[in-house]
Amino acid sequence: MITLTLREQPPVPLEAEALSPDVMAALAHDAIRALPVYLGKRQQRVDDLFEVAGEASDELEIRGDAAKVKWIGRGMTRGRISIVGNAGMHLGAYMKGGTIEVSGNVSDWLGAEMSGGFIRVRGNAGGQVGAAYRGSLSGMQDGTILIGGSAGLEVGMRMKRGTIVVGGLARDFAGLQMKGGTIVLRGGAELRTGAWMVRGTIVSLTPIRLLPTFSYASTYNPTFLRLYARHLGTLGFAIPHEDREGAYRRYTGDSAVPGKGEILVWKPAGA
Amino acid sequence: MGGKITCTLGEVKNRADFIVYWGGNPAECHPRHFTKYTLTQKGRFVPEGRKGRTMVLVDIRETPSAKAADVFLQVRPGADFEVATSLRAIIKGQPVDEKSVAETGLTVERLQDLADRMKRARFGVIFFGMGLSMTRGKHMNSAAILMLAAEMNAFTKFVCMPMRGHGNVTGSDMVLRWTTGYPFGINLSRGYPRFNPGEFSTVDLLVRGDNDAALILGADPGATMPQPGIDHLARIPTIVLDPKVTHTSRLARVHITTAVTGISAPGTAYRMDEIPLPLRPALQSPYPTDEEVIRRIHRAVAAKPAWFPAPAARMAIA
Amino acid sequence: MLRITGGKVHDPANGIDGVVRDVCIADGRIVARAEGGRTIDASGMVVLPGGVDIHTHVAGAALNFARGMTPENFRRAVPFLRTPERRAGLGGITPTTFATGYLYAGMGWTTVNEAAVPILSARHTHEELRDIPIVDKTTCVLMANNEIVLDLLEAGELERAKHVVAWLIWAAKAYGVKAVNPGGIVAWKWGRNANTLSAPVEGYSKVTPATIISSLAGIIDELRLPHPLHIHGNNLGVPGNVSTTIETMKVLEGRRAHLAHLQFHAYGGDDWGSMRSEAAALAEQFNARKDLTADAGAVLFGDALTITADGPWQHLLYQLTGRKWGNVDVENETGCGIVPYVYKGSSLVNAVQWAAGLELLLLVEDPWRIFLTTDHPNGGCFWRYPELIRLLMSADHRRECLKQLPAKALKRIVLPELDRQYTRSEIAIITSAGPARALGLPQKGHLGVGADADVALYDEGRDGGLEFAYPRYVIKGGEIVVEEGEIRAVSEGREFIVRPSFDEQIEEYLRPLFQKVYTMSFDNYPVEMERLARPDVQACG
Repeated sequence: MITLTLREQPPVPLEAEALSPDVMAALAHDAIRALPVYLGKRQQRVDDLFEVAGEASDELEIRGDAAKVKWIGRGMTRGRISIVGNAGMHLGAYMKGGTIEVSGNVSDWLGAEMSGGFIRVRGNAGGQVGAAYRGSLSGMQDGTILIGGSAGLEVGMRMKRGTIVVGGLARDFAGLQMKGGTIVLRGGAELRTGAWMVRGTIVSLTPIRLLPTFSYASTYNPTFLRLYARHLGTLGFAIPHEDREGAYRRYTGDSAVPGKGEILVWKPAGA
Repeated sequence: MGGKITCTLGEVKNRADFIVYWGGNPAECHPRHFTKYTLTQKGRFVPEGRKGRTMVLVDIRETPSAKAADVFLQVRPGADFEVATSLRAIIKGQPVDEKSVAETGLTVERLQDLADRMKRARFGVIFFGMGLSMTRGKHMNSAAILMLAAEMNAFTKFVCMPMRGHGNVTGSDMVLRWTTGYPFGINLSRGYPRFNPGEFSTVDLLVRGDNDAALILGADPGATMPQPGIDHLARIPTIVLDPKVTHTSRLARVHITTAVTGISAPGTAYRMDEIPLPLRPALQSPYPTDEEVIRRIHRAVAAKPAWFPAPAARMAIA
Repeated sequence: MLRITGGKVHDPANGIDGVVRDVCIADGRIVARAEGGRTIDASGMVVLPGGVDIHTHVAGAALNFARGMTPENFRRAVPFLRTPERRAGLGGITPTTFATGYLYAGMGWTTVNEAAVPILSARHTHEELRDIPIVDKTTCVLMANNEIVLDLLEAGELERAKHVVAWLIWAAKAYGVKAVNPGGIVAWKWGRNANTLSAPVEGYSKVTPATIISSLAGIIDELRLPHPLHIHGNNLGVPGNVSTTIETMKVLEGRRAHLAHLQFHAYGGDDWGSMRSEAAALAEQFNARKDLTADAGAVLFGDALTITADGPWQHLLYQLTGRKWGNVDVENETGCGIVPYVYKGSSLVNAVQWAAGLELLLLVEDPWRIFLTTDHPNGGCFWRYPELIRLLMSADHRRECLKQLPAKALKRIVLPELDRQYTRSEIAIITSAGPARALGLPQKGHLGVGADADVALYDEGRDGGLEFAYPRYVIKGGEIVVEEGEIRAVSEGREFIVRPSFDEQIEEYLRPLFQKVYTMSFDNYPVEMERLARPDVQACG
């Protein structure tokens, strides 16, 4: 394992796409220390900002408040990054494989345009989780993103496939222009959930405000959700799916497109 | 998503028989709009002038612009996205939820009526203002109008146009696009242009405190930014170039008074429809132009040891 | 002072076909002899006149609109880092201005023709051209949907129309005149089109696309512009449009004209399902018409961006593909439409298009009349021209590429039967000498004494065509701008413009009319000469 300990918060954002198993796995200790990172416009070495231990491993541990460290794990295809602390924007962007675990919070663009791999954040995330960068036709193409806390705007914007689970509240535009995949909102969302969605499934465990372009279809417990619940259960997320507990109100939309997406809102029995 | 269906203002003057102003107050903010471009002009194909046009005002309150409107639609604050999205469905004959629509302050009937009028138009235009682009939803509110106008072209000729703010913001957008590829929110730290609104746009940089110096030209963030952004400007070395001593000047390290562009300094302004107009100075000024000052700063920086980015600074194309 | 020695010179305009000889340069021109200065040892290299792109879209309102629509393309583009010599920029499908100059020069191209300029925003176009380093430029100003001109044609006032056209060319500080979908863009302002050459244009009873074409071609010949009418014909891109193209050629009988991106106008079939290439039939007609030139507008598989003044065509493409769509109608003059697009080898239609461009280049007999373009960025990016060169020089390579096409496509094209391989001299003609001649720029496209010293040196003996992607040296105006793949010097290119003669009184006619239908002051309409970098007025007639 390679351990990188951030000595102090950088004064301006640090762009550190070199912090990736793909980059570091074959490198000796000195080479890792010399990898370029960008503090504003200045190119620095990794060891200008981090204490470095270990070498030649596809397991990275990053310690410290890296809230201003951007692009960790960019495009990674393998291995594991464990962040003990916070991380900055674009964590795991363009990821293709491997695992990222964060004990603290992350910033915007977590897992943006990823196509594979697994990300788990214990704390809160920012906006644009698994989303498309501005102008791109699609967001995440596959993979799994689990967030224990809240998330910001545009979670899963234009995602095509894959799974996003948000433990806390998501802000406006969760599932904006979704093309496929699944978003589970355990803590509900603010406004405009599923806006302009084409396909895909949004599951909300608490009541949410819906756009006028969504229509109520039926109330039931979809079969796929049972399988899904089992899978998410192994990852530590419980979602209700038993008839005795309640059922999901299914809404279809967004008729503005017109889209064939669905939003499932949990209705506990007796409510 | 994306794209824009629009025209130059002369097309509106010559052809538009259905004009919607949404989230803007042209009577007060673009005072010559009605008379020069949209309502009272006798156009080539609208020779009757005002009588040949219908104006619809969509806003959260009745502003002086409502006096000029044939139809006023009062929308609850923060509901523009819902209204525009509902309209997108209605024009396609798709279902919308009555109760939900009613929460916007309008009814399905009124929206259906609006949709029908839009379809009957020979040439419709929606001008959308900062009441949309600066309220909850922001760029998505603008996107909703852009999509609506594009989709209306399945039925009739329809365009839209943003009512831009003051200070030649359109000109800056144009020049930045051709030199860097992007309209705003551009980061050159790695030696080449990168774009990401929310990451590199001004308010976000300042509120997060991501920059350690600032040069402010022709803007007053010290008056308009959220407090954390203002505090940050006061902490870091800030330089202001402005004809007046502004709020930002008062918390800056350096203020340089410059001549007023368009009045004392020549240049080019780009209209909201992206047409360039030459500005010929009418008055003299004792102060240098912004351009002169920037060139002098540039020369002083060039005299310092050269710094250029290393090729490694290129981010791999993902 | 510069001497290039030991290289194999291809200067087809002067009958030199791969001869080892010196090329001498002094004061920015080719000279007979040069003493002193630097000598480039060009042994093992071929020496060609700098490339001339007769039809491309690199600057101005429409292109800038496209830039704004496609940030995702820029993210994937090759970035240009700031260096002591070079400004920062981005390449890709719609390169930024500085990058455009570096990319063209980096390929050995030294002159470009910005093919579509609206007069109302010509000021903007010139400002962007000013920011494109190194290459020289010309522009073609849009005229075939100008309502003031069309009104005059409707009234039969051809003489006055001629003065207005001349005045407009000078107001725009242009070099040539462009016609796009004559009458169609006027109709698009009401959501319609002009699909029939002989039918009156929307809003007119006498003016038809045919009258616009013949009137403009006649006016340009009378004004003796160095470059003839540059025309993007009606019904671009539509299956079966070859008949429109042939009809357009008939309308142009007796007149010079340059047919733009001919590939997009070479289709047979009745619909997308039955679409096929009619390049062979078109080439046969075209071969017989010696007063016409054309550029290929060839398609390359991969990302592209369609950007034309042809609003109705762009709307159709949007409806077919559901992709992003941009549109700007320009008052009284023209418009533009933009749809990003991808050409796929697996698509039957795209396969036919790919083949048709190559068929035209191989079946048009006279390389002096058909030029290498992709209608950048419509058919493909200009910096991929070397791929086209390779396809033209190697029949084997073509055959390999043909294997990738869907089997159905092979029945719609004749490319598999074509064995012709372009020689290097023929490449020099279609990429430089020919377009220079068609543009009417006698100082370009050749290496004779007196020519502008725009020279490109490539390695000889690489896979036929691939060497064109990596010039060893590029000289522009006598200055070495590229050496071994590096930009060495960045000069400011010139802009060629014309001043056709017109009666000054025409302004009295135009002023009140202009104020009535436009929304700017008449005095602000003409482009100030100061906007142009190094303007160079070329003679008419």
